[in-house]
Amino acid sequence: MGVAAALGACSLGQQTPTLGVYSGRHYNTDQLLYRRFTEQTGIRIKLLEGTDNSLIERVRSEGSTTPADVLVLVDAARLEKATQLGLFQPLRSAALDRDVPANLRDSQGRWFALTRRVRLIVANPQRVDVGAIRTYEDLARPALKGQLCLRDNKSVYNQSLVADRLIQKGHAATTTWLRGLIANVNQPFFTSDIPMARAVAKGDCGVALVNSYYVARLLSGQSGAADRALASALKVILPDPSHVNVSGAGITRASRHPEAAARLLEFLASPSGGKGYAEANNEYPLKGYGDNPILRRFGPFRDDGVPIQELGAHNREAVQLMQANGWN
Amino acid sequence: MTIHDLLPPAGARALAPPRRGLLLALVLLVCLAALLPVLGLGLFAGLGPNRHGLQLGEGGLSALLHTLALVLLVGGAGAVLGTTNGWLTARCAFPGRRWLRIAQLLPLATPAYLLAATLIDLGSRLSWRVHGFTWAALVLTLSTYSYVFLLSTETFAVSGRRQLEACRSLGVGPWGSFARVALPMAMPAIGAGIALSGMEVVNELGAVELLGVPTLSSTILKRWQNDGDPEGAVGLALAALVIVSLLVAAERLLRRRSRRWTMGSDADGSAPWSLSGWRCWGAQLLTLLPPLASLGLPLLWAGLSLDQLQADAALDLASLGVRSLSLALFAAGLTLAAGLLLAMSRRWLPQPLLHKLSFVAGMGYAIPGAVMALALLLLGGPLQISPLLLLLWGYADRFLAVPKQGLDAALERIPPSIDEAATGLGCGWLAALRRVHLPLLRGPLLVGGLLVFVDVVKELPLTFALRPFDFDTLSVRVYQYASDERVGAALLPALLILLLGLGAALALIPTLERGPTRPAAGPESGQG
Repeated sequence: MGVAAALGACSLGQQTPTLGVYSGRHYNTDQLLYRRFTEQTGIRIKLLEGTDNSLIERVRSEGSTTPADVLVLVDAARLEKATQLGLFQPLRSAALDRDVPANLRDSQGRWFALTRRVRLIVANPQRVDVGAIRTYEDLARPALKGQLCLRDNKSVYNQSLVADRLIQKGHAATTTWLRGLIANVNQPFFTSDIPMARAVAKGDCGVALVNSYYVARLLSGQSGAADRALASALKVILPDPSHVNVSGAGITRASRHPEAAARLLEFLASPSGGKGYAEANNEYPLKGYGDNPILRRFGPFRDDGVPIQELGAHNREAVQLMQANGWN
Repeated sequence: MTIHDLLPPAGARALAPPRRGLLLALVLLVCLAALLPVLGLGLFAGLGPNRHGLQLGEGGLSALLHTLALVLLVGGAGAVLGTTNGWLTARCAFPGRRWLRIAQLLPLATPAYLLAATLIDLGSRLSWRVHGFTWAALVLTLSTYSYVFLLSTETFAVSGRRQLEACRSLGVGPWGSFARVALPMAMPAIGAGIALSGMEVVNELGAVELLGVPTLSSTILKRWQNDGDPEGAVGLALAALVIVSLLVAAERLLRRRSRRWTMGSDADGSAPWSLSGWRCWGAQLLTLLPPLASLGLPLLWAGLSLDQLQADAALDLASLGVRSLSLALFAAGLTLAAGLLLAMSRRWLPQPLLHKLSFVAGMGYAIPGAVMALALLLLGGPLQISPLLLLLWGYADRFLAVPKQGLDAALERIPPSIDEAATGLGCGWLAALRRVHLPLLRGPLLVGGLLVFVDVVKELPLTFALRPFDFDTLSVRVYQYASDERVGAALLPALLILLLGLGAALALIPTLERGPTRPAAGPESGQG
């Protein structure tokens, strides 16, 4: 049965291969995008969505028998983790080199970013002087004592932010910054972004660190009219420079259809495909700021230019530093 | 039951010995299937490059203490609430008793992670911070006390009526009769219920993660998937295994101390205690509040979030529902059959080694779903087993203890003299099972099957890790959307989970109403 199925897949593979995609993104609109890809290329997609870490473990334990051709992951550290575990194979593609900026892809072509998100600051003007907050460093100033709300250290976006600081400022300066940050925290660490953004809007917190798409989602009314009204009280601050994180994808080492998989990556990274991916979750495209009116209202930001690949490489050190300084 | 019911058809006597060999073979097969993942994990932890064995490691002690405290608190609170409500609705009379008795089943429909997510979301709208240990204990008590209720109330309803009548005629009140007669008789069932709720607590992942409580299961997952240390995760999983073994051992000890044989209902039609005044409204409040909270809060949340409802999320709702339903039905059937075989082997195969083996086989409940998934992936890859089969295997292994606990407790109440009579009359184990035990065990079987059904519909980590392509279920979709903090998209699948759970809970009503361990009414049911 298994052999027959495999033979069938091989003989069909010449004309219309079916790609297995494991994805850490969970948006119904992603499926519309895959359908568009199938219409354009005849290549069909089988989809399995899950949490990033569970998908990494699944590909790892499935080994050479994995049915996944493409692994889509959210966050730099997870992409780098999958790379270090040898789950991706390198790919050379002129189209991808053209569409994906060099700091947003692996130097050996093992993964490519598809969308961008910014770790931004939301503040309540009633509680803090928003004019005095321009950078991540400002959050550690004593003036914000008892005002700051943070997600716990399991938030991979916080881990990547600390890794970003480590790369830019070094170990000693990052430790000092972390101590200042934790000294300003006003209540137990949150486990999710939206309750935290609500707490800022209601004045229970003065300031918090959240991902750009959560704020955009609240402001778009996707979380309901009450949240939209609440979020309009928030002051959105894009730090200068801003820490940028990505969602991205690579071709699995055991892929049986690497050529078809490469076409999918090229499609998703292209301005038209990438637009769909970014729009699904109020994210920024790989270049520019996109057409999303809410994101445009946030204004432009200056990417701090840290190569995404390096964020993953510093993840473990970042988590250890967070734990050592009371960011639980 | 008449002697004729127990008489075997011609030829059964000659078939008896080989059939018991079949039972042995089947029991060994079940044990092997149940233990294979555990053994694989043990080997993995013992032989891997970063060998750990049973060790706590960094953060492990805190996780262990949090888990123990939760088990004790939730077990204690669940025992009090479940037993009290079980007694009140079985043996007392007050306005609304019948409906409130049924309402005790509603909490089974609500997954703990959904209750936690809705509490956090509702709280943040009201500037309340729903976070930490106390909230976790509350959520887990609400979502697990029904186990104690279900298993204890059945005993209260049907057992020891004659003794209770005697108490009454001697002037002992309802609470006196409860404490002196009913409670000791119900101890095995209460113990089984507490053990089940304790195992649920050890295994709970979504709710404790959302509420920020570092328990063993969340630390295991973190160590495995975030820290990339699967051997360390398995080391910690072994600690969870020890806790659950202790729970089960304590429950068995309790049961042994209070062993009493009874043939189900002693007498019908004895009048319940009428409650009036503050006793009446106290009983009403106590039986109303828990189901109201566990079902009412998610419904309130759904009502408040209706403006976020997304039409595109509704499109594949039917296929999600069909997948959840069929997985749960298959898994319930498989688990029930395996649990019944193990429970019967305790009576019919008197080898102590086999009893120990079947006891250990029920330990799958102790392995966090995520770790079980890892074990099955490690086994399934080389053996080329399809993901769906692996998933069913995982469910059956994880939930084997659910029907087994109830069946073991119910079998304790069936006097061995009945088996002896059946054997004496020439019945093999299969004939005795079909004609004697199955009719007597219909209640626990139904309860066990429905509990597994509800558990599978709500189950997350295994389904998440093992499902094949394009095979999302309701719980998977709810968790994905909830973890992305997209309430609107999670709304419809969450409501459908509640609906399926409610359906299963309502199917238990006849069991509650009739009293399940009543002996078969006539020869027809014996043939069934």
